[in-house]
Amino acid sequence: MNREAEAPSFRHEALFYSGWPEFVAGTVPFIRRGLASDEAILVVVSPEKIDLLRTALDRDADRVTYANMTEVGSNPARIIPLWQEFVTANVRRASGVRGIGEPIWRDRSDDELAECQRHESLLNVVFESGPAWQLMCPYDVAQLAPQVVAEARCSHRHVLDQTGTSRSLEFRGVDACAAPFARPLPEPGSVALETSIDRLSLPAVRAQLARRATDAGLSRTETMHLVTAANEVASNSVIHGGGRGTLRMWADSHKVVCEIRGRGAIGDPLADRTRPGTDFAAARGLWLANQLCDLMQIRSFDNLTVVRLHMRLRPRARLSLVRDPGAGGAASLN
Amino acid sequence: MVSRTAIPVGLKFAGEMDINNSGAIARCLMTTFPDRGNPHLDLSNLVFCDISGIRALVTCAQNLGPGRQLQIHGLPEQLETVMRVTGWADLPCLAVCECRVAPI
Repeated sequence: MNREAEAPSFRHEALFYSGWPEFVAGTVPFIRRGLASDEAILVVVSPEKIDLLRTALDRDADRVTYANMTEVGSNPARIIPLWQEFVTANVRRASGVRGIGEPIWRDRSDDELAECQRHESLLNVVFESGPAWQLMCPYDVAQLAPQVVAEARCSHRHVLDQTGTSRSLEFRGVDACAAPFARPLPEPGSVALETSIDRLSLPAVRAQLARRATDAGLSRTETMHLVTAANEVASNSVIHGGGRGTLRMWADSHKVVCEIRGRGAIGDPLADRTRPGTDFAAARGLWLANQLCDLMQIRSFDNLTVVRLHMRLRPRARLSLVRDPGAGGAASLN
Repeated sequence: MVSRTAIPVGLKFAGEMDINNSGAIARCLMTTFPDRGNPHLDLSNLVFCDISGIRALVTCAQNLGPGRQLQIHGLPEQLETVMRVTGWADLPCLAVCECRVAPI
């Protein structure tokens, strides 16, 4: 039996390149093949790489759609909805669909990197049984750690490098890609708020969280976003997780994190990145949290679900954390 | 807290809506409005509303029937954000009222 014929119609390929010339050499022929057969093409990379590709494509530059990955993929859970919308909008209209997406770059924090890798795995789950299209994911092997490149071999069926294209022997398979994320999260140093939650305590917990989040440096709107998202996750925990849970909040110089811990598990691996349709009863809480927060981490283990919501502290907000020199002087007397 | 308004005919909400009271509010909305016209809701004093609360409002608006709308006054920023993100901002049965009458 020809196994290739059984392969899913979605082709998910990692491009391993080193430096910008190899990036262009790997991506431009892929784009040109799509243009030759009049396919719809979306490229989601950094603004610098968009400029690079526009120059390389010259007269054909405007036949490609571009999106800024540093914005779209700022929270990596927002990337899959973009691909779903592009594929759905074009799969019947165009002769084919292809895309280039580079969600992982050197400056990603460890937390963001883990969620980007989760995103790469989930792409296989989302498009496994969908229409045929091709997605190429460039990885700058000169800039990224070897374990990041090794993980890309596990989350992509195909790999293209300087030696050509091949099937990845390390691809972990779609079922493993869909398995809950069980990797434990590091414990915070100290927490600004820790409280149990149940149905009746939700209003008081929202008020406490709002106060502590504002104290930590979030703006009024950012605090509103965090409280709204945390309330939905906490409500899920109360309704589906045995009536109670725990909420904690802490901050460092870069971010405010709110964690909700409760019993039970989230069954659908795509629950947080499926745009709510017209179905009235459909859950919307996790989707909302991903739209309002900069990052969401969901972990399930030991019949527990842990959700962490991150809000970045913008430079304006960070200023309020600068210590009063007087306070530092007083501390040194102790 | 929910109170009736006479001009225009409708309801005024104050406080917070969440899973503690959204079910009761949904039942209240089902039975309150007359069979014709576009009822008005003043939400300007609603300081927090979760998805279950918005679902109650949207369900009420959909149950009004064809051609009728729930007219919303004083949509707070938090509620507007949640409605936009959950895809419930552009329903034909729900409108932000521009009649500029302060409901009493």
